[in-house]
Amino acid sequence: MHDGSGRIAVQNLTKQFGAVTAVQNLSFTVEPGSVTGFLGPNGAGKTTTLRMLLGLVTPTSGAATINGRPYTQLGNPARVAGAVLENEGFHSARTARNHLRVYAAAIGVPDQRVDELLGLVGLTPAADRPAGSYSLGMRQRLSLATALLGDPQVLVLDEPSNGLDPEGIAWLRGFLQSFAKQGRTVLVSSHLLSEVEQMIDQVVIVSAGMTRYYGPLEQLRASQRSRVLVQPADANALVTALQEAGVGEVQPAHDGRVAVMNATVQQIGDVAAKAGVAVYGMEEEKADLEQLFFQMTSPQYAGGPLPPGQPPQQPPQPPQQPPQPPQQPPGPPPGFPPGPPAGQPQNPYQAPGYQQPGQQGWGGGQ
Amino acid sequence: MGNLIKAEMRKIITTKSWWALLIPAFFASLLFALGWGAFTNEVGEVLSSRETQTITGALGIETGELPMGLLAIGHGINVGLLFAVILGVLAVAGEYGKKTITTTFLTAPNRPMALGAKMLTYSGWGALYGLVVSAAASLGIAFVVDGERMPSSGQWLAVIGTSLLAGVLATLFGIGVGALWKSVAGSVVTLTIYMLLIENVWVFVSFGLWQENVAWMGGVLPNGTLNGIVGAIGAEAFGAAGVKIPGLEYETAWLLQYTAGAPGAFSWWASALIFFGWTMLFFGGGWAVNQKRDIT
Repeated sequence: MHDGSGRIAVQNLTKQFGAVTAVQNLSFTVEPGSVTGFLGPNGAGKTTTLRMLLGLVTPTSGAATINGRPYTQLGNPARVAGAVLENEGFHSARTARNHLRVYAAAIGVPDQRVDELLGLVGLTPAADRPAGSYSLGMRQRLSLATALLGDPQVLVLDEPSNGLDPEGIAWLRGFLQSFAKQGRTVLVSSHLLSEVEQMIDQVVIVSAGMTRYYGPLEQLRASQRSRVLVQPADANALVTALQEAGVGEVQPAHDGRVAVMNATVQQIGDVAAKAGVAVYGMEEEKADLEQLFFQMTSPQYAGGPLPPGQPPQQPPQPPQQPPQPPQQPPGPPPGFPPGPPAGQPQNPYQAPGYQQPGQQGWGGGQ
Repeated sequence: MGNLIKAEMRKIITTKSWWALLIPAFFASLLFALGWGAFTNEVGEVLSSRETQTITGALGIETGELPMGLLAIGHGINVGLLFAVILGVLAVAGEYGKKTITTTFLTAPNRPMALGAKMLTYSGWGALYGLVVSAAASLGIAFVVDGERMPSSGQWLAVIGTSLLAGVLATLFGIGVGALWKSVAGSVVTLTIYMLLIENVWVFVSFGLWQENVAWMGGVLPNGTLNGIVGAIGAEAFGAAGVKIPGLEYETAWLLQYTAGAPGAFSWWASALIFFGWTMLFFGGGWAVNQKRDIT
């Protein structure tokens, strides 16, 4: 049987549909107690990955497990994991209540659970209407109710905000966060970071079927803080001066500019003045996750369609993090008790070199 | 498995398909039995004396007592069973069409159990269809066939029993085709045209061209064997299938089989066995394909 850990583990997962490689050697883990965003542009392989995790699509190679087991070996899987998938089908003539009663029977939960969930997702007034008459938002709610029938430990959602109005999205955010705070696992996919940014703690970013980053969202956000682009007369002199003064972390930047992290404009100006280096301009760059996300994922379409069978190139600029095989022992890793605040610095999934200057990041490493 | 069967039952009774197919099945059987019964009732009058005497002599009954109703009841049932096939198509292909197959697979321990539950549940529904269409066909012949030409109670029970069996197998056959093809419209249209038209025409034409050399054709093809399960009961009652009456011309035997809705049938149980083979071929194929099919 499964280990009850609530951990989702995707290891070296690959799926080819004929000549098309939908997912390429994807690895990440999702821990309980947090909401993990699964982000990537349309066509990045998110849906295929989730469907492999749920046993609906057979991987070409690699493995995707929940609680240490493939979905089809979980016993009564709907009691372990629930899924809200895109294009979830409802028989258009079957009422929402009957739809839920069908699957309540399949899972083996009492019918009163159906009424509870109709109430939870706010569909009680429409419960006896055929699902075919539902709006997209109502269908999403019904999907969620279906996913929750078995009171699962793990919840997987594919683009759940589609069709939800702002109120619905806010409700979903609150629901998923409280669900995760109970020590359960939430994996939610989206092609828009902004759409899920407020509900997720952890993030897995994929593009062209490969993992680009996974770790706490806070870490990603922190990487964008305190970055000042300086245009000095003598870049080498400024870098030396900054290093001697111990101010910030310096990255060689493109177009002759110096990127300084963890330092303010004032600090840099003072150092430059003291060292006698003329500064022609300074530009403070704000944390823009969306832009970073775009940079990480844009290579998918940057060079036209990828030739089949050839691994996609790593993006030139983003803070790369080599996918770490999820080989952690069962049980929550240190720093991840159920329901912690997001962004623990000791997160084991955070690559140590992620923030190091001069290796990667904005304008670096070329 | 009990949970999954309960879920399948709920799926069926919460939509209209089961009665929307059962009602036309009832009336198709009734009308066909009425029409064909009126015809076979008359055939009892027009059978040439030599043939009639051959048959009645071998059966040890009077000419007027030939169970002509039996020839019509099978035909009526056979037409109704097409709707059982369509019900079966909806079982899996319908779920692909509505995309509910995703949730069905997600809420089952594994795919073999999901399909196994469908097999058992739809077997019950197939039997119900078999029962209803045999009742409809019985009603049909009761209206138009003379009392002394009605089947005996033993023959009647045999008809109802084989109709139940044929209903189960017809439904499973439909499940198999639908599971293989995934398309409700494609499966239903193809099966309907094939079973009502193509195979019948082929069996008829080939017999016309090559006579007894191809008399077995209807006894092995899917539609012929399905029809033969019930139809052969009628043909057997005339000594035209199973244990044949010596001296019966092959054309007469075939014609009697044809009238009974089972041209070429060897016997009811041979038809059942061969159609079971067809069912297993399609059901097994659909089963195998669904174990590996990617649900995207």
